[in-house]
Amino acid sequence: MLELQDLHAYYGRSHVVQGISLRVGLGEGVGLVGHNGVGKTTTLRSIMGHGPRTLGRIAFEGRDLHSAPVHSRARRGLGFVPDAEAVFPEMTVEENIRAGALLRPRADQQHCLETAYQLFPVLAERRVQLAGTLSGGQQKMLALARGLALQPRLLMVDEPSEGLMPINIDLIAGALGRAVDAGVGVLVVDASFHLLKTVCSRLYVMKRGVITGEHQLTEFATPDQLVATYLKGEA
Amino acid sequence: MSLEHVAVAAMNGLVVGASLALVAAGLALLFGVLGVLNFAQGDFYMLGAYIVWLALGHGQSFWTGVVAAVLAVGIVGGLALMTMLWPLRDRAHALVLLATLALSLIMEQLAANVFGGDAKPIAAPISARVPIGHTDYPVYDLIVVVAAVVILVGGFVFLKYLKYGIWLRAVAQNRRMASVLGVPVSRVYALAFVLSCGLAAVAGSLLAPLTQVYPTVGLDVNLSAFIVVIAGGLGNFRGAAVIALGLGVAESLGSLWIPGVAVQLMVFGLVIALLILRSQRQRVLVRL
Repeated sequence: MLELQDLHAYYGRSHVVQGISLRVGLGEGVGLVGHNGVGKTTTLRSIMGHGPRTLGRIAFEGRDLHSAPVHSRARRGLGFVPDAEAVFPEMTVEENIRAGALLRPRADQQHCLETAYQLFPVLAERRVQLAGTLSGGQQKMLALARGLALQPRLLMVDEPSEGLMPINIDLIAGALGRAVDAGVGVLVVDASFHLLKTVCSRLYVMKRGVITGEHQLTEFATPDQLVATYLKGEA
Repeated sequence: MSLEHVAVAAMNGLVVGASLALVAAGLALLFGVLGVLNFAQGDFYMLGAYIVWLALGHGQSFWTGVVAAVLAVGIVGGLALMTMLWPLRDRAHALVLLATLALSLIMEQLAANVFGGDAKPIAAPISARVPIGHTDYPVYDLIVVVAAVVILVGGFVFLKYLKYGIWLRAVAQNRRMASVLGVPVSRVYALAFVLSCGLAAVAGSLLAPLTQVYPTVGLDVNLSAFIVVIAGGLGNFRGAAVIALGLGVAESLGSLWIPGVAVQLMVFGLVIALLILRSQRQRVLVRL
């Protein structure tokens, strides 16, 4: 469904992503892991068309996205939940979720809201609260709920568990796991072993702008084994 | 001072406030979405008034003139303004301010050259009057207030519940995230320009019978609209509307007891105080 071939991304003269290739299939959860600053977020932003100048092929459902603007990528079924500043702070929780569902038919919009509240009951309790006044963890849940309300065919999520309490990581992992079960492709950048285990079947390891390995999640029994793959070759 | 005088002054204030609210709401919308402070807003008001005058001169009805003014100034003027300001969207605010100030001067001079500098009277389309005590008050003035309130409530409902209204607020609050959700950002910008200019035009055309039409008719309303937008919180649609109505009434009532100049000074003093209070605010958004 999503296929990157020899993708390069640049911020000015800085060559952040240096020729990576990966694929994510329908209903497949795929992780992208590595240390901070290796180009994971830049990869997601490049796929969404946000920010960096890119070279190489980004194909979604067989069509090259290169010249497509961000909003048309979203309309083709690509979703993206960034790690920060993802909500509309002066809109209520409910308006935020609706904003994600506005491209759906009206009958679907109510269903999207109900699904979001089912996944994250705390959002239902705070439906009329301004999103900017939520805690960081609640904003993360809201951003994910809104990303799912768009009903994308492929959802990219950047650091969804960062800074969250374990109980909230469970909720987010559960929501992403359900999306995968429902046939959505999920490409997630995260460091939580529990979340990766719940959501993903495969993962790519990135180092200094390149992909250095592709693994099945079943290869790892403990978080330490996963971390060891990042560190391999680094003395 | 009789109650009747107070009632009439309050009604006059509401009429002024209503037109001000329309202009200010347009200013607030444009500033909230794009961060553009449009000095030429009053000149789009003036254009609206001239289009009504032209329509009447060509044998059309007053109301046809109003519709023509809103469509022409809103769509043509709005998109032209957008074309002019688009290249400056990520540049310093001062450039946008200077560009709209230049546009304002050009429009006023063009209007003076084309239509002449004299004030052109326009007859109100409804001449009926209602008695307030011993004073016969023009029904048309009341219609202006009602029309403005209906338009502003409509604007609020649009921003709160309708797709493009929600998208306008989304773009104002987080442009990048809005595009990730499939919002066509440039189309939303165009809509903000069209609505902003359209609001100025509807005010200018409706008020034309009360103010007459001349090249600088928009100047006074522009200054007051800036005061309102600053006092209401830049980008705050509802705040602009409410404060405009309040300001209109306060100025009109205040003039009953205090000289008009003193009332103006007090208003400016209030704005300076509000600016100091609000100087800590960091974000400017389209709020409801």
